[in-house]
Amino acid sequence: MDATTVLAEINGNIATVGYGLAAIGPGIGIGIVVGKTVEGVARQPELAGRLQVLMYIGIAFTEALAFIGIATYFFMV
Amino acid sequence: MSTAPDSTHGSASDSRSAQPTSVPVLKRTLVYGGLLALAIAVVGAVLGGIFAGGEGIVSALIGTAMAVGFMGITALSILAANRYAGRASAIGAFFAIVMGGWLVKFVVFLVLLMILQDAQWLNPLVLFLTIVAGIIGSLIVDMIVIVKSRVSYVSDVTLPSAPHDD
Repeated sequence: MDATTVLAEINGNIATVGYGLAAIGPGIGIGIVVGKTVEGVARQPELAGRLQVLMYIGIAFTEALAFIGIATYFFMV
Repeated sequence: MSTAPDSTHGSASDSRSAQPTSVPVLKRTLVYGGLLALAIAVVGAVLGGIFAGGEGIVSALIGTAMAVGFMGITALSILAANRYAGRASAIGAFFAIVMGGWLVKFVVFLVLLMILQDAQWLNPLVLFLTIVAGIIGSLIVDMIVIVKSRVSYVSDVTLPSAPHDD
């Protein structure tokens, strides 16, 4: 085995990379959604209820993609 | 589905229980999410039974429970965090409970998938399809509930009472 082959060798299932990618986007998205909600509540505490409802639907949409992406790696590969 | 405006949670004079107005909306998403789970479980079990036999039925039930359960944990965590509303540690508790719940949820989801991945008593296709159906259905139910809900603007504040004239 020459040096180039050794350097470029990858073990395991390449779909693992897909699962990792599926976790990055929603992680950033949830961080932004919750962080912005906390920011808004800190500025205007009386709006907490409205902001939380909007935050909830934002989280739901963001994590839906993560669930489907991760499940795809485990069951469809 | 009721379209009546949500009653504010707690009166303005009761400053101790000034919970955000999102509480009834989130509770309603949980209730309708549960009803949706029943519907998807029945349809999925029937279709899974037809196309994949006993394995299909079990897979459909597990997939539905996972999808709707994990999606519902978000609302549960926000409801739990709202119990700290009005305290000095409210924002810290909110971050800890909502984000911590999200993290734990995904770790548990990953572990469950690793366990179920090689299970011989499951049909992977039925499981995957019911998970996707549960997640998308849960999103639709959440959207419908939230669009039909009315959350008042400033009901979370407790106004100071006027001084008594003697």
